[in-house]
Formats: sequence, C-alpha cells, structure tokens
Amino acid sequence: MSWFTRTASSSLGKKYIMALTGLLLGGFLVVHAAGNTTIFFGRSVFLFYASHLHALGIAVAVAEVLLLALFLTHAITGLLLFVENRRARTSRYAVCSSAGGRTWGSATMPYTGMIILAFLFLHLVNFRFIDHGVTIADIVAAVLARPLYTVLYGAGLGALTLHVSHGFWSLFQSAGISHPKYDRFIRISAWLVCGLIITVFAAILLLLLVNSNQLS
Amino acid sequence: MAAKTITLNLKIWRQAGAGASGRFEAYRLERLDTDMSFPEMLDVLNERLTLEGREPVAFDHDCREGICGMCGAVVDGIAHGPAKETTLCQLHLRHFQDGQTLTIEPFRAKAFPVVKDLVVDRSALDRVIQAGGFISVNTGSAPDANGIPVPQHKAEQAMDAAACIGCGACIASCPNAAAMLFVGAKISQLALLPQGELEREQRALAMVQAMDREGFGNCTNQRECEAVCPKGISIRNIARLNREFLRAAFIGEPLK
Amino acid sequence: MMKLDAKIPDGPLAGKWDRCRFESRLVSPANKRKFQVLVVGTGLAGASAAATLAELGYQVKAFCIQDSPRRAHSIAAQGGINAAKNYQNDGDSVFRLFYDTIKGGDFRAREANVYRLAQVSNNIIDQCVAQGVPFAREYGGTLANRSFGGAQVSRTFYARGQTGQQLLLGAYSAMMRQVAAGRVTLYPRREMMDLVLIDGKAKGIVCRNLVSGHIERYSGHAVVLATGGYGNVYFLSTNAMASNVTAAWRAYKRGAGFANPAFVQIHPTCIPVHGDYQSKLTLMSESLRNDGRVWVPGKTGDTRKPQDIPEAERDYYLERKYPSFGNLVPRDVASRNAKEVCDQGRGVGDTGLAVYLDFRDAIQRDGIEVILKKYGNLFQMYERITAQDPGSQPMMIYPAVHYAMGGLWVDYNLMGTIPGLFVLGEANFSDHGANRLGASALMQGLADGYFILPYTIGHYLAEAGAAALSTDDAAFAGVEEEAGRRIAALLKNRGTGKKGLETVDALHRRLGLLLWDHCGMARNREGLEKALALIPELRQEFWDRVAVPGSGQELNQSLERAGRVADFMEFAEIMVQDALAREESCGCHLRDESQTAEHEALRDDANFSHVAVWEYAGEGRPAVLHREPLAFENVTPSQRSYK
Ligand SMILES: Cc1cc2nc3c(=O)[nH]c(=O)nc-3n(C[C@H](O)[C@H](O)[C@H](O)COP(=O)(O)OP(=O)(O)OC[C@H]3O[C@@H](n4cnc5c(N)ncnc54)[C@H](O)[C@@H]3O)c2cc1C
Ligand code: FES
Repeated sequence: MSWFTRTASSSLGKKYIMALTGLLLGGFLVVHAAGNTTIFFGRSVFLFYASHLHALGIAVAVAEVLLLALFLTHAITGLLLFVENRRARTSRYAVCSSAGGRTWGSATMPYTGMIILAFLFLHLVNFRFIDHGVTIADIVAAVLARPLYTVLYGAGLGALTLHVSHGFWSLFQSAGISHPKYDRFIRISAWLVCGLIITVFAAILLLLLVNSNQLS
Repeated sequence: MAAKTITLNLKIWRQAGAGASGRFEAYRLERLDTDMSFPEMLDVLNERLTLEGREPVAFDHDCREGICGMCGAVVDGIAHGPAKETTLCQLHLRHFQDGQTLTIEPFRAKAFPVVKDLVVDRSALDRVIQAGGFISVNTGSAPDANGIPVPQHKAEQAMDAAACIGCGACIASCPNAAAMLFVGAKISQLALLPQGELEREQRALAMVQAMDREGFGNCTNQRECEAVCPKGISIRNIARLNREFLRAAFIGEPLK
Repeated sequence: MMKLDAKIPDGPLAGKWDRCRFESRLVSPANKRKFQVLVVGTGLAGASAAATLAELGYQVKAFCIQDSPRRAHSIAAQGGINAAKNYQNDGDSVFRLFYDTIKGGDFRAREANVYRLAQVSNNIIDQCVAQGVPFAREYGGTLANRSFGGAQVSRTFYARGQTGQQLLLGAYSAMMRQVAAGRVTLYPRREMMDLVLIDGKAKGIVCRNLVSGHIERYSGHAVVLATGGYGNVYFLSTNAMASNVTAAWRAYKRGAGFANPAFVQIHPTCIPVHGDYQSKLTLMSESLRNDGRVWVPGKTGDTRKPQDIPEAERDYYLERKYPSFGNLVPRDVASRNAKEVCDQGRGVGDTGLAVYLDFRDAIQRDGIEVILKKYGNLFQMYERITAQDPGSQPMMIYPAVHYAMGGLWVDYNLMGTIPGLFVLGEANFSDHGANRLGASALMQGLADGYFILPYTIGHYLAEAGAAALSTDDAAFAGVEEEAGRRIAALLKNRGTGKKGLETVDALHRRLGLLLWDHCGMARNREGLEKALALIPELRQEFWDRVAVPGSGQELNQSLERAGRVADFMEFAEIMVQDALAREESCGCHLRDESQTAEHEALRDDANFSHVAVWEYAGEGRPAVLHREPLAFENVTPSQRSYK
C-alpha cells in the first residue's frame, strides 16, 4: 500500500475524509441556502438566479459530478465507520447511559446521515430528475404547497440540523484544530452557520406552505 | 462520621470464562456503610458468597486509591460509575440511594475480551504502547537533566496528558469502543516535550497503526471518553493526535 | 550454614563503586544474547532492570501479578524522588545526601551501599528526564525541587503528586520498547510460586498463570526478584492489595537470608480506619505537616466537636514535646506520639484512633487560597474519601504501615545468599537501615534497576557461564509438585460443608491486628513473646478453616490471596523473632525497654550495630540468626534528637 492509501484507510484517515468532505458539503449547503434566499424575493428573482446558474453550462455539470463524488465519499466512508464501530463492540451493554459527553447530534450521526441520504433522493426526484418543461419556480411551489412534503422536508431538515450541529464542530476536532484560544469561536461559529442554514431552509418551507402565491 | 447505612440491590454480570456465555445475577446487600468504597462493597458481597460456598465475583483492583488503573466496571451504563473524575475504587456508596438497584457490567469492547465476571483483558493497550509510546534512549546515554529545558506550561500540559492511568474507561464508554483518548494522551505527552521531538512522526504512525490492528473503533467525537476519564484528560489530546498523525502522514518517513 | 560476605570493595568510600565496576568481569556484547534473565516484578526496580538488561543485549523474561506491568505498586508513590543534583545551589552534595540517608536510617545501613545510592541518584534524574518524565519545572524551563521529609535542602524532584506514576511509566515505556525489539518477553498475570535451584544456584522459577491456573516453569541464568515490600502482612497498610511477601519468602525457604524483617515504617499521616470492612489505608502526603498543626483534646473522653474545644484545652503535643522540630519531627516520632495519645484515651473520631491535623491557623495566616494552592488536591482526596472538608474542620489522621525496610539480604552486588539470585527495590534490605527517608525508595528502586544490577549481574553471568537451560531438570518437577500440593491444601475445605470456616480476608485481618498490637509502633518483650505464641495457633487455624471457593484451574482471586496470606502467616513469625532479638530502639523500631529518661528511642550501638539476617532451618525448626556487623568509617553514629 502506498502511504496515501494507508493513511486514508486508517481510522484517523477516515476521520479526515469525513471532515474534509463534510466541510465541502457544508460549503455546498451554504451556497445552496444562499441561492435559495432568492425565493424570498419572489418568482422573478428566483428564476433570474436559476437561469444564471444554468447559464454556467458545463461548469454546472462538473460541479454536479464533484458534488456526487463528495456525497458518495462522505456516505460510504460514514457507512464504513458505522459498520466498523459496531464491530468494535461485539457485546452490548445492558444499561446504556451517557456520562454527559454525547449530544443528540453526535449520538445520531449515522442515522441522521441515512435519513439525509433518503431525503436527498426525494429531493432530487422532486427537483432534479423532472420534466424541465415547467419552470423551477412552479415545480417548487407545487411540491412545497403540499403539507405531506412540508412534513417530509421538515423531517429531512430536522435530520440535517442534528447532523450539522455535531458535524460542523466535529470536523475541526478531526482536523486537529483545537486550542483554548479559539475553541469558543469554533463552537459558536459552528452553531451560527448551522442555525443560519437551517433558518433559511425552514423559512422557505413555511413560506411556501402558508403563501402559495410566493412564487407566482 | 456517624455511620449511615443503606441497602443496595446489585445486578452483576457473571461469566465463567473467556468463551462462556454470561448472565446477570441479582444480590441484595443490606446495612452497607456509606463510607464504604465500591470494591469494599464487592468484598462484603464476596465474603458472604464465600461463606455460602458460592463463587465470589471476580473483579480487578489493586491500589484502591485511583492511580493504578486496575479497577473498572460499568455501573448503570457509566464506566467507573456516576461520580465525575473518580475511579471505581474511589467511588463511595454515599453517591447512591437507599434501596437503589445497580447494574454492574464489565468494560465491553472487542479489544477487551472478558476474562471472568468483571475482569477483562486490556493487554491491547500495552501493545499500542509497545508500538511507539516511548522515547528511545538507552540507560546511561542521557544528557544532564537541565540540559533539556522545558517551558513550564508545556511541562504542565505534558503532565496533564501523562496523568492517564490506562484503565480503559475511555474505550469502555466510547459508543464506538475507540481508543483515541488513550493514544492521544500518550502521543500528546511525548509530542509536547522536546525529548519526544525526534521520533514524533514515527511514533504517531506506529501507534495509530497498532491501535487499528487491535480492533478498537473509530472516533466520532462523542466526548464520552472525556466525560468518564477519572483523570479528566481532555479531548484536546485527541485533536493533537489528529494533528500529529496528519503531519506524520504527509512529512514523516513511512513505516517500514 | 550461611556465609555473609557483603563484598564491599576496598578503598575510600567515594571510589568503591568505580572500583567494583572496574573489577567486575564483563560479558562480551556478542555473548550477552546467550543469557536469559528472569525478572520478577515490574515496579520501578523490576521494569528499570528489565529495560536496561535488554538494552545491553540480554534476553529477559519479565513477570508481574497485575494485568499490565504499568500497574505495579510503585505507581502509587506521591511525593517525589531525591537526587544530589544541587540544582538549587543550597549546599547539597553527594556526601550530604549520603549522610542524610544513613542518618535517617538511624545508622543501620551499610555506608558503601548508601554512598553509591547517592552517587547514582543524579544519573537517575537525567535518565528519567530523557525518557519524557514530566517533572515539575520552573518558569525558565529548568527542573523544580522541593524540600521533603524534613530535609534541610531542596533536592526532591516531583511530578505533581504522581511522581511514582510518572517514573514507573518511564521505566515501563523503556521496557515496552524492548518488548517490541524482542528482547523482553512479558508474562503478566503470573505469580511466582517458588524459586528453583540447580546445583545450589538460582536457575528458574515456577509461576501460576493467574488466568488459566496452570503452573508454569521458566528457567534462566539468573533470577532477579523485584517483588516489592511486605507491609501487607499487617492486613491494613498503604500498599496495593496485591503486595506480598510470597516471592521473597519462597526464596528464603530455599536458602536466601532475610534481613531485618522487623524494620517496618509506619507513616504518620494516613486517613484513619473507619469500619471493619476497610480494605486499605490511604496515605496523605506528609507535606501537610508543613502547615497543619497536630493536636488532640487535653482531657480524655472529650467528645466535643473540634471547633468547640477552646485553645487552652487543646494539646499540640508535638509542638509541646519537640519545640525545635514541632510538627515536622520524623515519621517514626510522629507516629509513635499519635499512638501514645490515643492509647491515653485522647484520640478523636468515632473510633478514638485518630488525631487532628488542623489548618485553621495556616488558613488564618495565609488565606484559604494560598493553602488550597499548596494542598488543594490533597484536600480533595481527603474529602472524596471522608466527605469532610479540611478547609472548614481539621483533618483526622492516624499512622499506617507504609514501607518495609527489611527484605532479602543482598551483598554490595545486590546478590542474595543464593548465587544467581538478585534482589532489587523494596524487596531487598539494602539502603534504608531502620528507617527510610522520604523520597528515597523511588531513588533506590531505580538506582538498583538502571545503574547497579546491570553491572553486577554481568560479573556473575560471566563467571557462571551460559550453560544450556532446560526446565526438564528434576528440580523443576519437584518444585512444581510442591506448589501444586500447596494449592490443593488451600482448596481442601471447598465443598466439604465443614462448619466454622473463615474467609481469607478474615484470617488475614486477625493476623494483621495481632501484629499491629504486638509488633507495631512500639514493641516490648512481653508483647512479642505473646505474638510468638499466638502466630502458630493462628496459622494452624488458617490451614484448618480457610474457605477458598472455586478451583485451581481458573482465575481464582480467593486462591491467590490465600496463597499470599499463607506465606504472611509464616513470615510473621520471623518478623516478631527479629523484633524480639533486637533489644534496642532504632529508627522505626521502638523497644519499650530501650528508652532514654525522656522516653525517646535509645539505640544500642555496642550490641546492635548489625544487620540481623535470618536463615531458614527447615520446617518446624527455629530460624537461625546471623549478624552482619556494620562499620562506620566515614560518619559517626549520633543519637537522634528532635527536642
Ligand atoms: C502510598 C505510597 C506512597 C509512596 N510515596 C513515595 C514517595 O513519595 N517517594 C518514595 O521514594 N517512595 C514512596 N513510596 C515507596 C515506594 O513507592 C515503594 O517502595 C517502591 O515503589 C517499591 O518499588 P519496587 O519496584 O521495589 O516494588 P513494587 O512497585 O511494589 O513492585 C512489585 C512488583 O512485583 C510483582 N510481584 C510481587 N510479587 C510477585 C510474585 N509472587 N510473582 C510475580 N510478581 C510479583 C508485582 O506485580 C509488581 O510488579 C510510597 C509508597 C506508598 C505505598
Ligand atoms: S484499584 Fe487502582 S485505580 Fe482503582
């Protein structure tokens, strides 16, 4: 094995992979959320944003492939960790309690990860693999006007919140970035970024449920 | 110290040997002095079992003052029990309520097979140390001690990490049975000191490799290890391990 | 008949060690790997020896009772380690450390050994620092020191309150490096059951594998015992639970002389006993006596709370009796006086077996912050155990058995009376005389292991040669069979339904109490003779009534303890005999019959300036006493006075 594969396949290597892909996926989320804020300004702004995005042409395709690779790496490595970690404890405790270390987010990472994965399929089916004869604004408005989807998207968003609430701090720890001087800064900014993204998405969901004319 | 006494109901994991299947057995102990330590309570139980002609509960312990790292069990789901920064041997019964039921299990991890009852095999930790948890200096070849100055704050940080007693509670409590806090503490101690500088990269690579080989899980930053550590060792040491390994992977000589 | 030749090199004191090294034969580098050395015990002494021998090229097998070598009892040492570095520029020197140590031992140790100890003390610190032991530092990065145990100079190196732990982890890691290199093989969870002699030389050991119960044979060209002290003979002590005399006792029964078994140090500042269930005593560092004042109520039977007892009705007995040293008198004096006031009925606490150690005045003087900065972790430790805060009410303390100065007799080369049997650390008797100075046990253990044995063992091995080893010798079979018989005897009451059985701990506790009462802090002929009569009775009871469940073919902790207690039951007898034979007071050993007019210990140099060495004379026969005279050419024994 080369030093690279040896590093990547070690326990720490997998952490780095999770951290790096997590960071990039987080970056994607920020951009995605930022783009979606155009919904707040109504149909024309949203469509303006969408058309400009698509005008990037090949770049979008490349970005999509990269994104897919990121997702796959993150998900596969995550699943691998999940399986390995279960194997590391062959017999389970009869009583399981926390001494105060874990959080809801940290304890549910693999599960929220899987929910997010499922949600992603739904999301892509809803908005990516569809008949592009209709404008994206109409599609979004149509889907998110249905309470069922509000619930499903809400659940996805919930999972994402939990996932990111741990993931954002965690990736710094995994990368070895920890110091009394800036620990608080990392923690607070992790919460802020997480909060901001979630607020944007949640606001869109609620807005489109309540106001079916937002995008018309 | 007017003695207060309580009654406890114990559910203790009993397992005859490494391969055997185990089960819980229930015992009721009355009039336990609350000034008693946890192993002293097990002594009381064992004295009784012995006189009844039954097998006493096997459990590891030695110093009974929280420093050798020999003792340890999971009490109601928490390694070393509910008191913070306390080993099982320093846990006194005054932390429990009269009539309380306690479930007592061995440390569980694939890398820590049960030997008998509450006794587990932690030799994996010794093998990780063998891989690189040392500074290679033969007896006699050391320079004068003051020839290697160490800034006080570094020495203190190194001591914080070196305080690890190797009890394995971090592994027992980690949802993934990972050994990062143990390894991180040793790597940190030696990385913080100038004496450890020369072998820094080799040590990080070799110890992580050994850790992985032993079948410990992967860290997912859940911080349970830090929460149960009887010596209060911080996960900052895990961050340092992550840093050291990353550095070693990119600039260190690969292991042979 | 045993011959005691201390093999002290000729010449001036300062040149003896050099001379010894020069005159020792050497094993050539290429031949070292042909020698197999068995090291029993992985405390400071054993781990440092195993590591160093392996570095030199010998093949080493290392044994310990615990699941990992890192857990040996040495891990618990708190205070620090002495060395004559004189980094503080306060007048220390090799000679001063030598003098303090030999005086501390009340002139009952060999000059040559103690001088060598002081000489190598500096190398120990160098070695430990190079290994990454995180000693306390000054701001400028140099090593910090403190004054310890009443020393007039600051020569104690420390790593918080965990010096023993850090030194042991250093030695352990050095040994683990050699394990990885294939030169040390570890045998944890093994208990040495006996020593195997072939042609009168130590050539192997027989162990019980504590997990499988199998009796295993190991052979070596030399056997090194670093098995620690026997303080647990008293049942309650500050020693770890597994500390025992078994290895040393078995060697004794195979012909090794046992020196000064009566010399046991009783530490004055321990947390008092508070219940019958109690399994061990916890030491509180004696540094507490720097600021705490020791007192008891003036009247007997005073049950008021300490806060309610007015100043005039308190007896600060150490300050009263020893105005110049006050609360800082040596360990033995502090311990004996605590016992005395408790015997007068002035002890405090539920049991009446405790005295106050009060920080009230220090807190008033310096403020609680200053006191907490110095003793915060000790206060915490005390509160964790007793649920009382020493910041608001006085601590309660009482003396407890702490350290065994006695041990297997060794010559200057650390070899016992059996050729090929080397004894290191607390297990030997070598350097502390009748009383050990604080912070010198760690120094001795590491001196023995890192810097003395590695030289002296070479001399023996070079002479003895690397003959082929085998465990098939009839001697092994015989010893193994004996070990098996002893285990069977311990298990014989199991499943018999016999009435009136007692547990191992109960019997051990009775032995401990008996010794504490009659061979504890102060001894007299009457008490010792009584003990001598009672011990065989108790031993008989032990063998008749001991309840050991389970079998020998598994992990059986009751059986392990039973084996150790069985040996304590035999050992106690020579301990008491030794105390009886030494009709003087010296160091920790106070004979009521030998006191000054002011009730202070009175040494008798004319008749007792010797090491008392006991030789096994066979089952049922009284042990034979030999004497190694002590000569003082470089220091003049003085009577200690702390008035
Ligand atoms: C609470 C406390 C505090 C102390 N503080 C200080 C201090 O501040 N400074 C100082 O200088 N000294 C101090 N001491 C004393 C010092 O710690 C000990 O004297 C010293 O550590 C003994 O080391 P050792 O290597 O000889 O033996 P130990 O550390 O006792 O090691 C004995 C080894 O032998 C093994 N063993 C024993 N019997 C067998 C057997 N039958 N078969 C196989 N293996 C066996 C054990 O498993 C262990 O590995 C303190 C002691 C105590 C109890
Ligand atoms: S018995 Fe030593 S740490 Fe608990």
